[in-house]
Amino acid sequence: MMPLERHLIEFLLNFLTREELNAFLRSPQNTATLIGGLIAVSGALLGVFLLLRGLSLTSDAISHTALLGIVVAFLLMTSVFGLEGDTSSPWLIIGASLAGVGTVLLTEMLYRSGLLRQDAALGLAFPLLFAIAVILVSRFVDDVHLDEDAVLVGEIGLAWANTNSHCFDHCQSVTVTEDHPAARMTRQCVNCRALGINPRDSRAAFVEVCGNCGDYSPAQAWSAGLLERAPALVFFPKSITVTLAMALLTLAFTLIFYKELKLATFDAGLAKALGFRPALMHYALMVLVSLVAVGAFDAVGSILVIAFFIIPPAAAYLLTDRLALMLLLSPLIGALGATLGYDLARGQLFSLLPVARAIAFVNRLFGLDLIEDWDSSISASMVLMIFALFLLAWVFSPRYGLIAGALRRANSRRRFADQVVLAHIHNHQGSPQAATELRVDTLHAHFRWTRRRMARVLARLRALGWIRIVSGGAVLTERGEDQVHRFRRSMLEAHNMPTPVK
Amino acid sequence: MTARAAISRDERRVWLIIAAMALASLLLVPFSQALFGLRFTYTVRVVALGGAFLGLLSGALGCFAVLRRESLLGDALSHAALPGVAIAFLLAGRELSLLLIGAGIASWLSLRFVAALLATTRIKQDAALGIVLASWFAAGIALLAYIQSIPDASQAGLDHFIFGQAAAIIESDVRLISVVGLVILCLLALLWKEFKLVTFDAEFAGANGMRTGLVDTLLSTLIVVTIVLGLQLAGVILMVGMLIAPGVAARQWTQKLDQMVILAAVFGAFAGGVGAVISALDSDIPTGPTIIVVASALVLLSLAFAPSRGLLWRRLRQRSNRRAFAARNTLRDLYRYALAHGAANSPVPDRFIRGVRDRGAELGLRELRGAGHVGLGEGGWQLSESGVKLARRDLHNQQLWEIYRLYAHELDLPVMEEDREREITSLLPADAVAKLETKLAEGADP
Repeated sequence: MMPLERHLIEFLLNFLTREELNAFLRSPQNTATLIGGLIAVSGALLGVFLLLRGLSLTSDAISHTALLGIVVAFLLMTSVFGLEGDTSSPWLIIGASLAGVGTVLLTEMLYRSGLLRQDAALGLAFPLLFAIAVILVSRFVDDVHLDEDAVLVGEIGLAWANTNSHCFDHCQSVTVTEDHPAARMTRQCVNCRALGINPRDSRAAFVEVCGNCGDYSPAQAWSAGLLERAPALVFFPKSITVTLAMALLTLAFTLIFYKELKLATFDAGLAKALGFRPALMHYALMVLVSLVAVGAFDAVGSILVIAFFIIPPAAAYLLTDRLALMLLLSPLIGALGATLGYDLARGQLFSLLPVARAIAFVNRLFGLDLIEDWDSSISASMVLMIFALFLLAWVFSPRYGLIAGALRRANSRRRFADQVVLAHIHNHQGSPQAATELRVDTLHAHFRWTRRRMARVLARLRALGWIRIVSGGAVLTERGEDQVHRFRRSMLEAHNMPTPVK
Repeated sequence: MTARAAISRDERRVWLIIAAMALASLLLVPFSQALFGLRFTYTVRVVALGGAFLGLLSGALGCFAVLRRESLLGDALSHAALPGVAIAFLLAGRELSLLLIGAGIASWLSLRFVAALLATTRIKQDAALGIVLASWFAAGIALLAYIQSIPDASQAGLDHFIFGQAAAIIESDVRLISVVGLVILCLLALLWKEFKLVTFDAEFAGANGMRTGLVDTLLSTLIVVTIVLGLQLAGVILMVGMLIAPGVAARQWTQKLDQMVILAAVFGAFAGGVGAVISALDSDIPTGPTIIVVASALVLLSLAFAPSRGLLWRRLRQRSNRRAFAARNTLRDLYRYALAHGAANSPVPDRFIRGVRDRGAELGLRELRGAGHVGLGEGGWQLSESGVKLARRDLHNQQLWEIYRLYAHELDLPVMEEDREREITSLLPADAVAKLETKLAEGADP
């Protein structure tokens, strides 16, 4: 990762000065938003295919069991190989990805046995694996980075502080040895404890020990005051590198295999017949989902990450029918939600409404005394804002939204009312009962409608020029007659009946 | 008639298992006291009792979730309870019954939200559940983070709802679980017919005038209440395991709903009790996850060993089928070759039979030899007296089947499915067999 990071910084330094870059990265808001956005992009891209394949909840299972992979890899690292327990080690990522793919294989195996259904297989496999992980954590791991909080919400707000340092100019690594002028030498008694004596005792023997000897990277050397000239340093948050790599990987995967993914998603049979290996695509997708879930683990925890997989694609699904557009909208929605989410966590809803005012309102409403400082979990707030965007899409989507649906229904109700009234008039016109059946002031009773509703419908029909009122009775105009025939023809066609020749 | 007897034997077996598991759950406490030298403190007793009650309840109701293919609904509903807990705490303080009511309301609202989403959009159930799960849970986490920032609030313990904290359970909690649980079980018994019908054939139920929407909501509400009761013990993440696992395990043993529900309840109680006892052995082992692991172990055992459905029996059955098949075919080949080369017991060269049957010959010969139907003689394999008899009977049976197929209509024989592996003489009445024999003897050789 380090050389990659260096190239990236060198690229960025073409546009920014070093100070600007450092200042940008040192802001918790910038870092958290960037990381959240990158996770949202990678999750939302993969999520589109999960949604279309009906596999959304597989991401839930994978992200839960990634924890087991991380824990097992962590335990193997620390106790078997004696390595230092570092939660950003690539071994953890590998372990977690294996666990994720293992979960998919396990559920598919259970499902294929024919003994239980897919939902039950999923609902069975991941609580078990998650339970094992929790038991292992509480039994064997005493590490702050693997505690329960990290599992739930991650530490996206602290991501800016966990950096790699890169030096670009005046780089000087320092090795402090015992004869170095900066070496702090202390005398230590070597046999005091063994003999149980005071260091002042005459029998005490002493050695000189160097308290700060060792290798210093330029950044460490500078902060230890070993250098006279400041090295040109850039502190780059580790999480950005990881999430950026994930985002680029998923982006490349979607772009390169767009055709294959599309075919395998919509018609697996055809894909297979054409030699596209849909099963391979399926497992590649699962591996990527595992990787993203693990890469996001540090930042947003293992549960909230599923929001990034599921909600943005669902919102995009409500907005468009085209896969390409969905793949564009979904990451946009995710990234926008992540950006707004940081503001919410710091007390600003949509940059419009301060949460404090909402709390004050609740306080007044219920006579409570809650503090009005809203300082909350960043990752959870990002999820909430993504959800808010989903709600907006649900309500306002031009084709599938609630409002559009209500308008459509109202419109067809209106059209239906028009048609039945026209048909009624058409049927009774010229018949002996015409006088009673078509009287405008009693017409509503034949339909069991309210007088007002009928008045509205008649007014509309008159305005359209389809009926005339002749001495208190409704009469079809020529255009109204035409409407009736057209409606009748369309009904017959809709039911596959032969249409009469005019 | 034999089929009915077989079913009732299966049923008896299931009742036996139910009785055994119930007994095991009851004996658990004294037994583990004797075996592990575990001292039963008040806490352990309370937790074990609570776990067992809860397992019983969630096992019974989980069956319906499993059968309705809504296993993951439990997952979403339990996660969705979290903001309810937080809001109830903010509004009313730390009073368990109110926290649980808040949890129930939040979870129930998520249920309605999923229903609305499914009714008005083209989003499928799995995605709808995922949306609700993630956003409700995020709301809960955000509220918990806010609560933690309140300086003097006695919020300690709210996050126990996430992972479950069995040690925090006290006697009054267990009383609450058992009273509410009893009400739920009574409702389950009262509305048994309705729930059963809605689960297996909702359209039929609707056509018969049942208000399926109402019954559906009621059943889901009972599941919500069960989940809420279990939150303290198992936590929102693992509750789905408690709900699903006993039902899946029970499903392997029986085809009948009443047996499945009772068996799942007993499995659940067993898992709850055993999980609590195991976690009492070591203070570092959390109770909720242990219960899930025990329940999952029951599932794996059931998947492997349950009679007729279990993977082990299935494998064994496949093996014995394969053997019988190989033995029958090998016998026929041997017999045919021997007849063509003289007598029924003339030797058949090893090369021939292996050439014809390849790997099947190995298996078939081993089977036949083991049964004493064939022996390895001078010039090759030789049928024994019993082997010849068997082969002759088999050939005769095949010939009768052939006659049946060709002349059943002409001879006016009863219609039946052709199953050549069975003795036709045992399937047809004596006079029909006699007709077939005459036809065969007449030389209507197929």
